[in-house]
Amino acid sequence: MPVISSRYLIRRLGYSGVSFLVCVTLTFFLLHLMPGDYITNYLLWLANKVPKEAVDQFYQQFGLNLPLTDQYILYIVNILHGQWGYSYAYGLPVFSMIVEKLCWSLVLLLPSTVFGILVGTAIGAWSGWRSGSRRDLAVFNIMIVFRAIPEFWWAIMAVMVFSFYLRWFPLGGYSSISILSAGLSIPDVLYHAILPILLMTFFIATGNYYVMRSSMIEVIGEDYITTARAKGLDEQSVLWRHALKNALLPMVTLTTFQCAAIIMGNVFIETVFSWPGIGYMTTEALRLRDLPLLEGIFLLDSLLTIGAMLLADILVTVIDPRIRMGTDE
Amino acid sequence: MIHNGDFQRPAGPLLSVTGLRVRFPTRPEECVRAVDRVDLAIACGEHVALIGESGCGKTVLGLAVMGLLPVNAKTRGEIRFRDCDLRAMDEPALQRIRGKEIAMVMQNSANSLNPVMKVGRQIAEPLRVHNILPATEAQDEAVRLLAAMGFADPAQAAERYPHEFSGGMRERILVAIALSARPDLVIADEPTSGLDAVVKAQILRLIKDQMAERTLLLITHDLGTAGYLCNRLVVMYAGEIVEEGPTDELLAMPRHPYTQGLLASLPSSGFHPIPGMSPSAADLPAGCRFFPRCCCVKEQCRQNHPPLIPIGHNRKVRCHRYD
Amino acid sequence: MNRRVVLWISIAVLCIYIGIALAAPLIAPSGPTAITGKPLEPPGAGHLFGTNDVGQDIFAQLVFGARITLLFGFFSASLSVLISTSVGIAIGYYGGIVDEVVSRAIDVFMPIPVFPLLIVLTTFFSPGIIQISILMGVLGSIHGIRIIRSQVLSVAQTYFVEGARAIGASDVHIMSRHILPNVMPLVMAKFVSSSQHLLVMGVGLSFIGIWDTTTVDWGTMIQNAYSSGGMALGLWWWILPPGIAVVGISLALAMIGYSFEEQFNPRVGVNRL
Repeated sequence: MPVISSRYLIRRLGYSGVSFLVCVTLTFFLLHLMPGDYITNYLLWLANKVPKEAVDQFYQQFGLNLPLTDQYILYIVNILHGQWGYSYAYGLPVFSMIVEKLCWSLVLLLPSTVFGILVGTAIGAWSGWRSGSRRDLAVFNIMIVFRAIPEFWWAIMAVMVFSFYLRWFPLGGYSSISILSAGLSIPDVLYHAILPILLMTFFIATGNYYVMRSSMIEVIGEDYITTARAKGLDEQSVLWRHALKNALLPMVTLTTFQCAAIIMGNVFIETVFSWPGIGYMTTEALRLRDLPLLEGIFLLDSLLTIGAMLLADILVTVIDPRIRMGTDE
Repeated sequence: MIHNGDFQRPAGPLLSVTGLRVRFPTRPEECVRAVDRVDLAIACGEHVALIGESGCGKTVLGLAVMGLLPVNAKTRGEIRFRDCDLRAMDEPALQRIRGKEIAMVMQNSANSLNPVMKVGRQIAEPLRVHNILPATEAQDEAVRLLAAMGFADPAQAAERYPHEFSGGMRERILVAIALSARPDLVIADEPTSGLDAVVKAQILRLIKDQMAERTLLLITHDLGTAGYLCNRLVVMYAGEIVEEGPTDELLAMPRHPYTQGLLASLPSSGFHPIPGMSPSAADLPAGCRFFPRCCCVKEQCRQNHPPLIPIGHNRKVRCHRYD
Repeated sequence: MNRRVVLWISIAVLCIYIGIALAAPLIAPSGPTAITGKPLEPPGAGHLFGTNDVGQDIFAQLVFGARITLLFGFFSASLSVLISTSVGIAIGYYGGIVDEVVSRAIDVFMPIPVFPLLIVLTTFFSPGIIQISILMGVLGSIHGIRIIRSQVLSVAQTYFVEGARAIGASDVHIMSRHILPNVMPLVMAKFVSSSQHLLVMGVGLSFIGIWDTTTVDWGTMIQNAYSSGGMALGLWWWILPPGIAVVGISLALAMIGYSFEEQFNPRVGVNRL
């Protein structure tokens, strides 16, 4: 088992920390440069009926009367404690709003990510292994066409064809009218989730397909595949014992990324389907110019992306025996 | 079905290649003629070297015997191993032969070994694939082979990955892989390319020792290596055999101008290069293929393609001077 | 389907799009916002694609919207490629401390997700289309710098650069005359793929309302049609034209980009023998 040099690990963590700090600093300055502060923006809708205790609480929480540098430190501390401010539009704490919507997004994301990665990788491996054959070319060209069509258009077309014309699926939302009388019903929600999940799976799969196929094609051209064949291995064994493990290496990085990127909710699909997840909330917040909420979404996304890059680096070291972090630096 | 050791030593050659042609179509009208009507017979226990410059077709010939040419290669002719037609066999039958009866020592490039598989497993693989030994015994045999190859701590070496070894050590591993299932015929493709002189000498010594009981087809551009390892030399040029004969005789008295040129270009002979370049395999001249570079041409060399002419009882030359 | 044929068709399609966008005032003289007919008229006389909910000609909106969409895509792609190429060549060529510093900076900035950052910034600035496309260009160039740089490194270490220096050529001369031509295929491929990516993203961003929703471009057209229930009422002519227009140019650019990549990395494509 290769040893990860602790020095390298600390360096990578350092970089990740700096990246996050940059994001936090940016959000701080934007928040601060916005005309008005929390009081005027947040409590605007309360008109002037703001009790003094609330105002004091705000001042204390966000240090609104402190000098800039102190506010900055306080801001960072708040962020690390999960106090990400309050939404201008909804008046609720940003962090809890994001967490709530995240759960909804995950209903769509978890199955689609898992299936998308599996399906995409499998088809990509098969396609790459048989690259140049008619079937591979057919699939490859189809995938290029599919990928060229934008996500939101796929979503709109899917809703039009399957929900509107064929009436197989509901037109959007997460529940039907029955929620008013019978409350939230799990099967109902799942029924509403099927089409968006299918679309997301599909889109993730096309991305994976392309990378896996290229990776497999590279691997096939390598000398050790000829060596394996010269030993008398049949094609299946060459594929499974030699080609696949090498071809999957680049996929580790990609997959980690995808998981992080997609966690942020898919803005387009959720908007088209009116699915109450983070993506949908992003569109709404954009419409309402709700800066703290959008910043919160940005921070969460940064956290996840930075974390994913770090994780990908570590995973690659663990899996690929050629890479020894720290020894060649 | 051929079984190792079940046969008597056959009277005929172990490997017999007749009229082999390998072509690669590059465009509808063009094709690269990599191997052009080659006849080659190797008897049991012989060590034969196939010598030529890069691009003369020697590696293609080796791959053709193994049945490992790329899909776009067009092959004609016969390849018989122990009197069985290899070209008529289907893929599963060929797989049973590869590694077990005929093995190849691959050219040592940075990626000749699977980078994510431990070396011991890679050496044991032919034994597992052909069901010669169960897993643990196969692993032990791999360690034993590593010891035979000169590794100081073979058990530990078996647990390492290819990138942890130097070029010379990787070449030894490739030799071990080729030998692990105890094949009768070993094809070695440029086994010492890229290695420095000291390591090269060690590897050559190792191969010579290991090949004592086996039949060897060595593919190389290096006359010195060929002379040391083999008792018969076959010189190839532009896809065909131009001279053939026992090592001592051929090196002492080369007949074909190309062979003479090769010998003259050795450092020990004074580094005299052969003028010109070898022809492109896609565009071969009509007459003798060595004609543009030959020092002693006759009138017919330009137009007539010389046949392979036997001289004495075991020499052959493809040259009009011996007509 | 011959690759060559596909490539030429794609280039033709691209030219048609650009031609239509340029000639918009000639093709649809009334302009995108003029109310020229009854609301929600299906395609027919006088209105090639029918009208939308306020009676504006969809065809006119489509050709004028093309200008904005195409401009956004190509402008931000050009900017992105320009920045990543010049920075990539400079740091790859000079190496040393400059390379170290910039590479470390890229290490820090690369993980930062562009899409939500863009949304945050536009909320703050409320910028117009040009500003957003500048932002996209700048943010999108970061990733490309790495790629160009590694290509430059492999070129700069070859001997002809040494040779050029030996005859006294200046740095700028070397960079522009020797390195740039070698990096050009990669740059072209990047430009095409960036154009496709950014153009589609532009439509997507406009769809979710990132800039003034009263502008007429393909994204807002789709958004208007969709949110006003165009689909629910079966008014296909309202929503299909802009979407198909986007798909068309995205496909064309993808095919062109793919041909480039095939030149570059022949193993990705077809074993044609």
